[in-house]
Amino acid sequence: MRRLFPIVLLALLLVPAARASERHPTLSELEGEVMCPVCGTTLDQSSSPAAQQIKRLIAARIAAGDTKTQIKDGLVAEYGSAILAAPPHKGFGLVAWWLPVAGIVAAAIAVAIGAWRWARAREPAPAGPPLDAVAERRLDDELRRFEG
Amino acid sequence: MTRPARLAAQGLAVSLVIGLLALLVWQVANNNSKGVAQALQDGAHPTAPAFDLNRLDGRGRFDLASLRGKKPIVLDFWASWCVPCIHESTRLEAAQKRYGDRVAFIGVDTKDFSGDARHWQNQHHITYPSVHDGSGSVLAKWGGLPIPRIFFVARSGKVVGELIVEEDLPRYLRQIAAS
Repeated sequence: MRRLFPIVLLALLLVPAARASERHPTLSELEGEVMCPVCGTTLDQSSSPAAQQIKRLIAARIAAGDTKTQIKDGLVAEYGSAILAAPPHKGFGLVAWWLPVAGIVAAAIAVAIGAWRWARAREPAPAGPPLDAVAERRLDDELRRFEG
Repeated sequence: MTRPARLAAQGLAVSLVIGLLALLVWQVANNNSKGVAQALQDGAHPTAPAFDLNRLDGRGRFDLASLRGKKPIVLDFWASWCVPCIHESTRLEAAQKRYGDRVAFIGVDTKDFSGDARHWQNQHHITYPSVHDGSGSVLAKWGGLPIPRIFFVARSGKVVGELIVEEDLPRYLRQIAAS
């Protein structure tokens, strides 16, 4: 339970921040999430007239009280989904989100299997059958002589 | 790992690599489209790529193919953020007054915000109809950026030329009006 505490605390801190970002987005954060349609970069990397136009539009929508989702939906309606820097969380866009996760999971499984096989190969060979009483006494004598 | 399991894993990995390679080849093949502008430069006169887009004025849609065999077309790719487009569209507006009864003048507002585009048209007194190509997918088929790009389409639907030199405008207009 003590180990879970930092994770829970982090989640409690991040959720309100995400909600605030959704309700009251800033121009600078949206500039990093929206593409310039003629430059192939995000808005924050461009000062082209097309980028300036979209920045003005976003600023106007923020001033009008739109949420981040409303602003992005409006941009997608005008320019298509390619206007967003990140692929959408639906349809074929899901592949881009989940493929890396699947890759990481597959790699973790492969590493775990490899580590398990490696560890098993290094285990000592199983001991042979126990010594009979005569052989054990003889071994003890030999050891005593060796140590003495 | 048993031999069948190892073979299955290797088969899966090889299939994955082949699949990704096929995807790459498909992408390259599909991006190999030169566009109308390049075809014209190569001396060809391709059929105008069809499009069916929303009109900027909100009066439904416009299908380019609907004019094939009926009227020649001047196609003007523009955007409200494009400064040189003002000059070209104003020239086309003037030409429309002379050729408008024989030639259809169609604007394609591309990679643009439709509200700004409507305002731009009013501001510069552009009256010929435009469609909205927000994603730029139609522009890509005709040759892509930069804009303005102006194409001349004969009545048959074949693209006659692109305006490269300003002085060629009257010649192209006469040519397609007579087609």
